[in-house]
Amino acid sequence: MTERSFDPGALVDAAAPLLKLALTPESRAQTILHLKIAAEQAELLLSALIGDEYEPAPVYQP
Amino acid sequence: MTPLLDGSAQGIAAAVKGGVASAVEVTEAALGRIEARDGAYGAFTDVLAERALVRAAAIDAARARGERLGPLAGAPFAVKNLFDVKGLPTRAGSRINRDLPPAEADATLVTRLESAGAVLVGALNMGEYAYDFTGQNAHDGPSRNPHDLAHMSGGSSGGSGAAVAGGLVPIALGSDTNGSIRVPSAFCGVFGLKPTYGRLSRARTFPFVASLDHLGPFARSVVDLATAYDAMLGRDLDDPAQTDVVPMPSVLSLHDGIADLRIARLGGYFARSGEPCALEAVDRVAAALKAERIVEPAEAHRARAAAYLITMIEGAALHLKRLQTRAKDFDPEVRDRLIAGAMLPGAWAVEAQKFRRLFREQTLALFKDVDILLAPATPCRAPKLGQKTFVLDGKEMLVRPNLGIFTQPISFIGLPVAAVPVWTEGEALPVGVQIIAPPWREDLALRVARVLEREGVVAAPVAAFG
Repeated sequence: MTERSFDPGALVDAAAPLLKLALTPESRAQTILHLKIAAEQAELLLSALIGDEYEPAPVYQP
Repeated sequence: MTPLLDGSAQGIAAAVKGGVASAVEVTEAALGRIEARDGAYGAFTDVLAERALVRAAAIDAARARGERLGPLAGAPFAVKNLFDVKGLPTRAGSRINRDLPPAEADATLVTRLESAGAVLVGALNMGEYAYDFTGQNAHDGPSRNPHDLAHMSGGSSGGSGAAVAGGLVPIALGSDTNGSIRVPSAFCGVFGLKPTYGRLSRARTFPFVASLDHLGPFARSVVDLATAYDAMLGRDLDDPAQTDVVPMPSVLSLHDGIADLRIARLGGYFARSGEPCALEAVDRVAAALKAERIVEPAEAHRARAAAYLITMIEGAALHLKRLQTRAKDFDPEVRDRLIAGAMLPGAWAVEAQKFRRLFREQTLALFKDVDILLAPATPCRAPKLGQKTFVLDGKEMLVRPNLGIFTQPISFIGLPVAAVPVWTEGEALPVGVQIIAPPWREDLALRVARVLEREGVVAAPVAAFG
């Protein structure tokens, strides 16, 4: 099965109605840019070896 | 009155206590300076002359009755406009929040500084909803860097940095989610303290990313920074994230020196990507402190990525209803990042929070062998206002989200940081260094900052005006 590349425009167009957001063309273009940056950051994060035993820290306790 | 306004809050308090100047005289002079200079700086959004003069008169009356005055008696201060100030809508840099009813009470930290004798003179400009590192605001205009008005103040607490650097107030308060105290401190050349997550109360302030939000002071001297910080310590049940730890005042040990401290600089991620000036500033600070050791945090790049994603997702959750109903009233640069955040997978947020635990464990392990870590505050000096991109590590990047690449991994795990300004002869603008301490040891970071200040390695002069 071929891995499909991320299409941020398709995500914006599908998610905006779900989130009840109305985007202008300018806003859509910028949102796509920020989704691309976020996807790069996520790729970095998700390549970490985080074990199943690690519970999240929704509020950090130093 | 100029020497007092250009000096420290400590100097003002001494003058007021000693009868050299009244609190009313100091307040009138500060209000006059704000009137004369803030048109150039854009630091203030609200000036509270009547309230300030009433407060100052009360201090003078207390002195006349022979009462003991607080450590900040008569010292003017101002707060980022996400702090509640009774009678003002808490705008948080936005157009939308101006429709909120006026705050019914002051933020806890405002009350605590006033209890120490400080006089609130106004609320300060900031990037919209604190999602900003530049100090620019689409609604109120930018807060400008007092050391070069064509350059950014840094953000999101841009008005706080500009007001202190411009000599409008000796102390200001700001917030720091990913670097919003440390970036404007670095760009404007003032001292800033981001305390441990959960240390100072955030009650009655407008949030951004609850799991990352901190509040803290700016000042032009380390003693002022420490005095303001100490005055704000204490349990407050109105902040659900404040941790019940014993307050540890910093002023008493501020001059103890660093002979007992093991100091190292952060390498790896923190020694790459910055412009030479940012890395050289760390060299100078490290040399002054005789910090030869370099330690490498294992996964700072991932910590930054995780903080970036948590910010997008939590920030979007906070603002979703406003994005649905008032999208056109947002600053477009903030709105579109928030919209993107609303569309990100929830699994990413959970993974980021899981990684947070892992990175905390890895980083706290470093503190078994060292007491203080040094790192750049920003990758460069303040960019020009309006600059959209810059080149880091050979890659063109957006300025707005990337000025915090060195601050984000540290606030991600809530460590306390004092930001100190380093100057280079011939350069109008400073660059900042982070002095990072273990959790709850703000006192150690401030001690190191004080040594550097005493030895002339760091300084926060008032910018020349006109």
